Order: sequence, then structure tokens, then C-alpha cells
Amino acid sequence: MLQIHGLTKRYGDVLALDDASFTVVPGRIVGFLGPNGAGKTTTMRAVFGLVAPDGGEILWHGQVVGPKQRAHFGYMPEERGLYPKMKVGEQLEYFAQLSGLHGTDGRDAVARWLDRLGLVDRAEARLEELSHGNQQRVQLAAALVHDPGLAVLDEPFSGLDPLGVKALSDLLEKTAASGAAVLFSSHQLDLVEDVCQDVVIIDHGRIVLSGVVEELKAASPLRSLEITVNGSSWMPDLANTIRQRDGRVRLLVDAAVDLEAILADARSAGEVTRFNFEPPSLTDLFLEAVSGRREP
Amino acid sequence: MTGVRGVWLVVRREWNQRIRSNAFRLSTLIAGAIVVAIIMAPQLLGGNTKPSRTVAVVGRTSPALSTLMATVGDQLGLEVSTQRAADRGDADAALRAGDVNVVLVDQRAVVWKGEADEQLLAVLTTSVQAAERQRAIGALDLTPNQLRSLEPSELTSSSLEAATAERSARLDVAMIGLSLLLLAISFYGGFLLVGVIEEKSSRVIEVLLSRVRPTDLLSGKIAGIGLVGLAQVGVVAVAALGALAVSDSADVPPTTASTVAWLVLWFVLGYGFYAVLYGAAGSLVSRQEEAQSMTLPISSVLLVAYFFAIDAAHSPESTTALIGSFLPPTAPMVMLARVAYGGVPAWQIAVSVVLMVGTIVAMLRIAGRVYAGAALRLGRRVKLREAWYGVETAR
Repeated sequence: MLQIHGLTKRYGDVLALDDASFTVVPGRIVGFLGPNGAGKTTTMRAVFGLVAPDGGEILWHGQVVGPKQRAHFGYMPEERGLYPKMKVGEQLEYFAQLSGLHGTDGRDAVARWLDRLGLVDRAEARLEELSHGNQQRVQLAAALVHDPGLAVLDEPFSGLDPLGVKALSDLLEKTAASGAAVLFSSHQLDLVEDVCQDVVIIDHGRIVLSGVVEELKAASPLRSLEITVNGSSWMPDLANTIRQRDGRVRLLVDAAVDLEAILADARSAGEVTRFNFEPPSLTDLFLEAVSGRREP
Repeated sequence: MTGVRGVWLVVRREWNQRIRSNAFRLSTLIAGAIVVAIIMAPQLLGGNTKPSRTVAVVGRTSPALSTLMATVGDQLGLEVSTQRAADRGDADAALRAGDVNVVLVDQRAVVWKGEADEQLLAVLTTSVQAAERQRAIGALDLTPNQLRSLEPSELTSSSLEAATAERSARLDVAMIGLSLLLLAISFYGGFLLVGVIEEKSSRVIEVLLSRVRPTDLLSGKIAGIGLVGLAQVGVVAVAALGALAVSDSADVPPTTASTVAWLVLWFVLGYGFYAVLYGAAGSLVSRQEEAQSMTLPISSVLLVAYFFAIDAAHSPESTTALIGSFLPPTAPMVMLARVAYGGVPAWQIAVSVVLMVGTIVAMLRIAGRVYAGAALRLGRRVKLREAWYGVETAR
């Protein structure tokens, strides 16, 4: 289990991380969300010793993370890149060796990953000869070739087409199913909702929300309400309408709102063809958590 | 990955990737060929061979004459060969056609095509006189002792400025050695600089640093490229020694072989010192286009050291040469220049080597910190100050 306790990092006048704490449990996928500059990359870099925190500690199975622990971590940075002129197989073996897999162990791991990603016939090709999509696959393999106990991926879904997204989601699920703890950051919130079980939302260096996605939704004081009134531009008498399109109104309302009154009001305007009352989406939670902090 | 194994893996990658490239093989071949050519050139191009002359002889001739002419010719700087002509007519025809340079008739008269060749005339005159003399002595029927007394004593030849000639030959060796050292250090230093920038510009650096400590990565790169350089310099040195052994030229001073051996040692130390600078400089920029601007200050220091060493080569016993052989930036070159002359006390070499190694280790720590502070800062050039104070020493 990865435990991050009170992580603090200051760059000059900017507080990049402000007492950030959360955990990543083996076998689970954690989505790490936050606006640009919120501190996601700084946190991830701190896990790999690429950033020296000013305060707080990072533990892996109860031990302070050092080079020995990091040998069991895999990292895919947001800035993608490998050696363009090095052969794919050789390159992956090099990274496997740097993570402590020696001799045949390293070669076996490379063979397994090339097979898993459908790149067996490209092992002898230079990286630069591969298509963009295949280069992305090799990048992922470079992070995970040693089957790490903790996989940290910074924006792994950015730049992927829908098929790529699906393939990566499956891979992350498999990785977690094999017992690894997975932490990834993303801007694509709808996607995160499908992939991760847990979520950590960070804003201005502070963790504003974290927990199991379903529990957070259930515990939220808000509900999502969708109403469609046929042939009418009816609007409820509530301020926080999220969007309105083709007569379909979507709002975030208090869980204790008087549904009967709203429904009666809608019916008076026309035929109600849709009336959905459900827990908020992750996007709702995110926007609520982030904008909540913005308002003093 | 920590410590020795991480460094070793990095070294191995640098070695494997570079040694296998065609560019490496080709450049090694070319460098070796150039050095061999420089050493062998005087002989191959005939710099030491003498101009040749052919003498046609007609009529009465002593049997020993052709040998005498060859010997005397050799002493006077001509390669003289003899051709027997059937009669005067044939000889004149050959002379007119330019097949021979002169006709010697009955060992009495010489005939030229045009103007007389004074040097060849001297050879002929001396040879004919010696032949006549031998014939006359042979006719006297003398005792062996009398014969010996008639033999002319040979002159011994020596020069008041012999030491100076030797010195100038050693200066040549020192100069060639210095140029090679300058070339090798800036060449492989530049290699390292480009290699460091490459890892930033391709963004692989962050993947690497999540697994290897910055100082280990930098040390591994320096050592790996250094080994490649050592292999190349070694091949060239062996080729040079081989060519020297084959050429057995009298112009090569006895210190040459040892100078070549010293060249290898001072390359290792000189490269080590400057590579640390090149490595730290490379970490400050993210694009290959900026490599040139980073090389310049280091190359300038290297060039100053080179001129310092040339000065030392001209006056190896001077105080500046002595001081220069202990200052790390200049020591490899100045020491090489002094060693080319020979007579450098062993303790001075030992002290210089120890100072170099100590400085390299200390500088590696400084460069490692700059490298760690700058390696992950992509985009614009990182200022030295920012790198130094922005260091992330989480490890």
C-alpha cells in the first residue's frame, strides 16, 4: 500500500503541494484528478524521488520509500519519450535491468510484454520506425516491464483514440487484478469514472476529495436531476442548472429537494418524457469540489 | 537501481549502442589510417630516396667501376646505376634519347647531352680515380701490410648542434601528441554533451531518473563514452606504434613509443576532467541546437590549456611548464608535452595524477548536483544558479 502523508512542496512563493495525504491500495485503480497546475505531477514525481518534498512522507508497505522500494515501482511520465534510435526489445530490456531484472528474467519479461502488446515482430525495429500508437505501447511497456507492485501513470489516456483508451483501460484493470496498486492522473473525467474504483481530487496542492467513487457519490449531498418536457422550454425554478439542450434539462439539486413539487411544476408545462433522479457523476463531484474551494 | 550496478548498466548501454554503429567503425578506421599515413609518409612518398642517374660505359672499363660508382654516388647523394653499351654509337643514341645521363668512354672521357651535371661528374671522377688507383696498386704486388697502409682512413662526422636536432624531433612528437589529445578530448567530450542533451530532448530522461540516481546516470555516461574513446584512441595508438616499428626511421626520437603510451593515460584523465564539465553543461539545455553555445566556454578553456602546453613544449624546463603540469585543466596536456622530452621525475607525474583524480571525483559531485537540478527542466535553458539551488535531493 502506498501512503502519502502530509506532502508539502513549495516552489518559491507557490505552494505546489499543501499537506497532501492519500493512499493507493494494491488491487485497486486510483484516478488522480485536478485542474492543470494542481500538483498531480509534483506528487507523482515525489513518489519517484524526482522532486524533494519540503515536508511529509511517502511510505510503501509501511516503509519510507527509497531506491530499494522504487525498484518495485513503474512510472510513465507525462512527458513521453524513449531512445528513438534504440531497438524496441533492447530498450525494454535495458529498463527491465534498471529495475533490477537480471539476465533471462529481463528477457522473459520483455518477451511477455511484447506479446501482450502485440509487438513481438517489432522487437528488432528501432523505436522511431514504429507508428505513433505502437510507440505509446512501448512507452507503457517501459513503465510496466518489470511488473511493478505500484504503477504510476501521468495522463496515460491523453492522445489515445477510443480503441487505445479501451486497450489501456483493460490493461490497467489486468494490472490491478494481478495485485498491483495503480495510480493514474487524467483530465478525462467520464473516462476515469469507468476505469477507477477510487478517486483523489487535488486542487491548489490540497486534496479536496478522496475515496471510493461509489461511496463518494452516495455520500454527496447533491443529486443529479434530468427532466425532459416534450415541446416546451420549461425551466425549473432552481438556480443551478447545469445544461439545457433539446428540451432536456439537467440540474444538480440537494438530495432532500421536493421532487413532487418539481414534477408537478414540469407537468403543468407539458408532457414529461424523462425524469431521472440519481447520484451525481464524477464530473459533478469534481466541479463541486474544485469550485467549492475557489469560492472563499 | 542504485550505485554500482546502475552505473554499470548505463556504461554497458553507451558502449553497446556506440560500438555497434557504422560511424564508430568507420571513424576508427579513418583515424588509424591517418596516423599510420603520417608516420609512413616520408618513406612512402620517397622523402628519403636519392635522385637516380644512369651511366653508359663504353670500351675499356675496370670490373669494379660500377660498384665504385654506386658507393661514391650514395655518399654524394645520388643513386648511380651502370649500363654497358655495345659501342659508342649506341651509347650516344641512348644519351640523346635521355635513357642515360652521361656516357663514359674508355674510362677517360665523359660525354654529356647538354650541360654537365657537376654532382654526377664528381662521382665519375672519384670513381675512375679510385679504379685506376686500385688497378695500379694491384700491379705492384704488395704485402698485406703495405696494402693496409695505403687504404685511406675514413673521416668521422659529427655536429656541434646535434642536441638541437634531437630536441626539434622531440618537439614534433610533443606537438603531434598534443594535437591528438586536444582532438580526442573535445571529440568525446562533445559526444557526451550531445548524449546528455539527447536524453533531455527525447524526454527519456524522466523514465531513466525514476530508476537511476542522476549522479549514477551521469557517471555511467561519462565512463561509457570514455571507454569508447579509449578503445578508439587505443586502436590509433597501437597502429601508430606498429607503423613506428615498421618504419625504423632514424628521424623518430626514442621517446616516441613512451609518449604514445602516456597519451593514453593523459587522455583518460583529461577526458575525465572535461567530460564532467561537458556533462553538466549538456544537462542545462533541452535541444541539440543549443549544444554549440554550451560547448564554447569549455572548448575555450581546453584551447587555452592547449596553448599553455605548446608553450611548455618549447620550454619544458620552465616554471610555467612545472606549474601547468599540476593544474588539473592544463596538467594532461602540459605533462604530455614534458614527457615527450623525457626526464620528468616520477614523483611529479604521480602527484599530478593524484591531483587529477581527486579533482575529477570532486567535480563529479558538483556536476552531479547541477545535473540533478537541471535534467528534468525541459524547455528553455536552465541557469547554472537555478540548477544548483533547484536540486531535488530526495534520494
